[in-house]
Amino acid sequence: MRDMEMGGCPGSRTQDFREDTKGGEEEGRTRQSQLKQWPIQLHLVSPEAPYYQKTDVLLAADCVAFSVGDFHKDYLKGKSIAIACPKLDEGQEVYVEKITSFIDDAKINTLTIMTMQVPCCGGLVAIAEQALQAAKRKIPVKSIVISLQGEVLSEDWVK
Amino acid sequence: MEKYLHAPIKESIKKFPEVGRILEEYNIGCVPCTLGSCLLKDIVAIHNLPVDQEAQLMYRVEKAIYPGKDIKKPEGKAVAPKATAGNIKYSPPIKRLVDEHALIKKWLELIPAVLEKIDIESEAGRLLILDALDFLRFYADKFHHAKEENILFGYTDKNLDIIKTILQDHDAARSHVKAISEAIKSKDREAIARHLSAYRDLLIEHIKKEDEILYPWIDRGLSTRQVGELFTKFDEAEERMDKGVVDRCEKFVREAEKKIQEKRRQ
Repeated sequence: MRDMEMGGCPGSRTQDFREDTKGGEEEGRTRQSQLKQWPIQLHLVSPEAPYYQKTDVLLAADCVAFSVGDFHKDYLKGKSIAIACPKLDEGQEVYVEKITSFIDDAKINTLTIMTMQVPCCGGLVAIAEQALQAAKRKIPVKSIVISLQGEVLSEDWVK
Repeated sequence: MEKYLHAPIKESIKKFPEVGRILEEYNIGCVPCTLGSCLLKDIVAIHNLPVDQEAQLMYRVEKAIYPGKDIKKPEGKAVAPKATAGNIKYSPPIKRLVDEHALIKKWLELIPAVLEKIDIESEAGRLLILDALDFLRFYADKFHHAKEENILFGYTDKNLDIIKTILQDHDAARSHVKAISEAIKSKDREAIARHLSAYRDLLIEHIKKEDEILYPWIDRGLSTRQVGELFTKFDEAEERMDKGVVDRCEKFVREAEKKIQEKRRQ
């Protein structure tokens, strides 16, 4: 991995993985999508949608699905999803309300938050924590942090 | 070796004591276990040792059973570092059970001080034993053990020896509580002390077994969906309980601890 620039924000620093990313052997068949809903962006989704009711929700930072090779198979399968970018998205107070509504109104079973290792991604965990504090119900929450090259750096139940 | 993998561990330890010593080196506490009915293959799986250490353990056990046999020694680290409950990460519902253990352990730590001077003649002395009994019945059993038996163990194979061992511990604990209750009625001071002390010894070992072996093993097998289900089922079970009783039990331990500390200072 080569740093193309020094200093600055780790979230937007240019890095080149071409020498490290081997890609591996791809299976011959087409991989099945595990997405079972639309829309997926957190501003656009409604906690009232049937696919959120009493389900396991995956709240992923926008970049995660591009980084993790087996995102659909290992993380999306069996879950409903919402995606957001805590660095660039506006109106993030609405995100807190929506996640609170997932917990209290949709009565979701669990919340898994997947973020990248860059510091700005921690904002998504902070948004979820605010929602958890505002919610009347308590649910198990897992945090998974992904490296820039798609490896799982940590996977912990946080609440 | 296949024969011993599928045999109750107590039989193998009795025949080959070195096997017990090897297991102890890996923090596998089968030697003091009163039952010892778990199969070696299940014990190895449940303890989830790193691959190289598991290979070393199995090599040493096989060598202890068949000293003359030519067995290839595996590479890698020989012994597991000592695991402590503090380093183990639990899912939220399992963590709740571990936290309940913390309160039970706090009471267990106070028992030796209570045993030093059991007073069943005075009102205050009798009340302390009766409150202790309430704590064991409602908090340790109806609040905590019931969640395990009615909910958690439903996510495991109840025919496994480790689950049978845990259930037998629960039954043994209930027998001690019943015996203490009868001893209070007959004002048998010696019997109260004997059963309270036996309860303490049993629960200390039982909690260690659950915190360090059983719970991490169950946790490893739970899917995200099951963790959420378990959390909700625990909430529902707790809602059905009398919150006042739980609060009273927590208050009992806090106050007993305070009283014993005060007595020690006098």
